[in-house]
Amino acid sequence: MWKTLSLILPVLIPSWRFFKAIEPSPRVQWSFLSDVDSHARDWQDFRPRPLAVTPLQMLGRLFWNPAWNDTLFVVSCAERIEQQPTDHSITEIARRIQADIEQSQVDASAQFFRFRLVFVHRDGTGLVEDIVFLSDPVAISAGAAC
Amino acid sequence: MLTLDAALRATEIILALAFLQQSAEHVLGSHTARILFVGRAALCILLLWGFLSAWVLLALCVHSILVLHRFQGPYNGGSDRMGLLVLYCLCAARWMPNAMLQEAAFGYLAVQVILSYFISGQVKIVNPEWRSGRALRDVFSFSAYPVAESLRALAQRPRLLWAASWSVMLFELLFPLSFLNASLLVLALILAAGFHIANACLFGLNRFVWFWVAAYPSILWLQGRVMGGV
Repeated sequence: MWKTLSLILPVLIPSWRFFKAIEPSPRVQWSFLSDVDSHARDWQDFRPRPLAVTPLQMLGRLFWNPAWNDTLFVVSCAERIEQQPTDHSITEIARRIQADIEQSQVDASAQFFRFRLVFVHRDGTGLVEDIVFLSDPVAISAGAAC
Repeated sequence: MLTLDAALRATEIILALAFLQQSAEHVLGSHTARILFVGRAALCILLLWGFLSAWVLLALCVHSILVLHRFQGPYNGGSDRMGLLVLYCLCAARWMPNAMLQEAAFGYLAVQVILSYFISGQVKIVNPEWRSGRALRDVFSFSAYPVAESLRALAQRPRLLWAASWSVMLFELLFPLSFLNASLLVLALILAAGFHIANACLFGLNRFVWFWVAAYPSILWLQGRVMGGV
């Protein structure tokens, strides 16, 4: 009951403080592991954004934008993990990385993967990256169990 | 002047279309929570048809709680929250026992539309980084929102972004004044919709467009109700 109220109240009494300040921004990166004890190398960006998008594509995305909206949900999960890690947010991200790995069918010998959250922010005039979360190894063949 | 019934019906139709678009993205696109969103789509078809609207709205409200639990909050932050606020106000207006309470429920949505712009402008203008244009440079430079790497180059256009920052802040802060005149309000809502479309193009925030537009009949109705056609 309290959980439901905590979900509904921000809808009924919104804060509307969009972009009040530009907070550190998360990047999700993942890496294959040959076994559960091995070290992760060659971190890859999760769903890297395209180099360019045409105006026609931009207009089309007004009506059909599922991949980007799902990526925005992943950003929300990353921000929630930075505030307080929960199984829900970790599983949501892991499940999507797993699905992308299965679709891309790269490195069939890899048994596990890890993901990490890198938060980018400005420090003076330069950009700084902080690693704020490193997941446990996730078995590629065993669903999104973390 | 827009009547309450006409405004409620217009809101139902636009909200149903917005939810259908959202549901299609889940069911056919990202494949997230497909069964839940098939249910929402079915209810939205009934709402579009106008079949037992009050009951369908109530069912959508109950369904929205399942969706909030599924994603432990809104799937897409502020835009989904606005969609649900429209839904809850619409449902409350349909179920209220008399006209005064119906107007209060629907008027609350209109007030929130005004606040959504005004508060967004107010929190920006008190921030020196927004006033200097630095905040918008940061949005393009390192935030997760630009839809393409090429857009990050806009961070190197400080004068353009300073002008854009002030245009957005002043528009948001001055938006409530448009309530004083019907023609001015229509113009402000067209500009606001254009602002949301620009955000959709640059940052991929397409859901903001549809859910804010769904709330516009409420403010058009309230303006006529309060200002009496001025």
